[in-house]
Amino acid sequence: MTRLALKDVRVRFGGLAALDGVTLEARTGERLAVIGASGAGKSTLFRALTRGVPLSGGAVSVGGRDLYSLPARELRAVRGTIGTIHQAYDLVPQLSAGLNAALGAAREMGSLRAIKTLLIGPGSGLAARARAALGAVGLEEFADTRVAALSGGQQQRVAVARLLVQRPQVVLADEPFAAVDPKTTASVLEALLGLNREGATLLLSSHDVEVARGFPRVVALRAGRVVYDGPPERLGERELEEIYAGTTPRAVRGQTAQTGWARVRVAEGRDGVSAH
Amino acid sequence: MASPPTEARPERIGGALPRFSWRTALAVLLLLGLTGWSARGVEFDLAALLQGSGPVERFVSGMFPPDLSAATLRATARGLIETFQMSFLGALIGASLALPLAALGTQGAPEASARRRERLPRAVPYHLARLLLNVFRSVPDILWALVFVVALGLGPFPGTLALAVHSAGVLGKLYAETLEAVPGGPVEALRASGAGGPAAFLFGRVPQAASGFASLTLYQWECNIRSATILGFVGAGGIGQEILISMNLFDYPKVATLVGATMVIVLLVDRLSAAIRRRLVL
Repeated sequence: MTRLALKDVRVRFGGLAALDGVTLEARTGERLAVIGASGAGKSTLFRALTRGVPLSGGAVSVGGRDLYSLPARELRAVRGTIGTIHQAYDLVPQLSAGLNAALGAAREMGSLRAIKTLLIGPGSGLAARARAALGAVGLEEFADTRVAALSGGQQQRVAVARLLVQRPQVVLADEPFAAVDPKTTASVLEALLGLNREGATLLLSSHDVEVARGFPRVVALRAGRVVYDGPPERLGERELEEIYAGTTPRAVRGQTAQTGWARVRVAEGRDGVSAH
Repeated sequence: MASPPTEARPERIGGALPRFSWRTALAVLLLLGLTGWSARGVEFDLAALLQGSGPVERFVSGMFPPDLSAATLRATARGLIETFQMSFLGALIGASLALPLAALGTQGAPEASARRRERLPRAVPYHLARLLLNVFRSVPDILWALVFVVALGLGPFPGTLALAVHSAGVLGKLYAETLEAVPGGPVEALRASGAGGPAAFLFGRVPQAASGFASLTLYQWECNIRSATILGFVGAGGIGQEILISMNLFDYPKVATLVGATMVIVLLVDRLSAAIRRRLVL
């Protein structure tokens, strides 16, 4: 039902190609890690899966339906099956942790219900779901605390609670650990894997290769293209060099020999670029 | 300070002022031209100002000592209370009108690949709301007061309505701009998980803009106090009416009391509203 498929997807921001012909499929219930340097297109890939960016070519389908040609009502229904969690900043800081968690059910709310929920809080059924979800991430006592008053790690756990309320069939986790401590990382990852065990497809992007190695399938992006797609075992030093190469601007190549990546480029310096 | 002649002069790093370019030169010329043209147009004349100092002196000295008789104080208090009531109700009604119009007049990022058929129903109310807000705002409150005085007769009620309409225009535009400028992450997250437009707006934008709304509304109330003192000049109630009458009767001591009391009230409300607004900042 919720098979994800991207076919030759192209996204351009101005003159810059963020995704440059990405073809990728994920089976229902699959667990997939996306790695790549900053700007490689990981976030854009995830946004394309909820129709969050305009495509300049290709097609995205969710459960066999072409996402980009769905009318508004059906688009909402499909999006309702997809849960997202970001690096940060996608909770509403002025609202309580409980209300933010309850927003996992925002797709079920019409205008009147939304106004009622905003002003006097969610109904008893939804409130119970939100409290249970906060309990599952160890934040039950913060249900009435404004999110702005929580730490970054606690906020990320509220975002997980929101996913638990939503019960999505697909979870898109875009760098969920970028701004949190190792302990939170472990608990957030465990919650995401739990959703996956219950049948949700999990796509997780991370700059941490070690986290990605825990996944059965790793996809690597570089400059908007898929440069690796396979099990983590085949992902050796050489492949990683390849994936993270090109993060240093061409002109600087070979001049910064301090880092591991750049050492390779000193060798490249033989073909004309002098290494200082 | 002189650098050795052999060394190439290092490229300077500029400050905040723009470097010379034909464009900045043109802008400066334009500015000077506008200044001269406007000064001529308004017959700007410092000499006339100095020559006028005699009559002004007589007027000011005529104000002292201010009239502190019981009757004048009563009239002052009555006028001030009415002015306060007008400004408060004007801001309140204006804010209530502004909220729904601002909600309609807020445009988020358009849905990617949305069909024209789906965009149009959103565009029509947006433009209508913005047009209405522009009309409310671009007509000054004193003109609205004239309109309402003609329609409803003299008194504080038409003045209150004038303040309400103008406040609605100003606040509606500022509310809408606040709503559009909130950080987009929450809205995007809500939409990505299937929330509809109203829910995404209510949860993603309104809470983030709420403290801004309160601050803007308080500021508009301050502006209304100042405006309400003028509206009396066209017969729309408030202390301005008392000031105008006393002026016309050459009762300068009474004018002094009225104007002095107005200044005190305006300053007090300024302080009060600034103090509240400081607490609202998140």
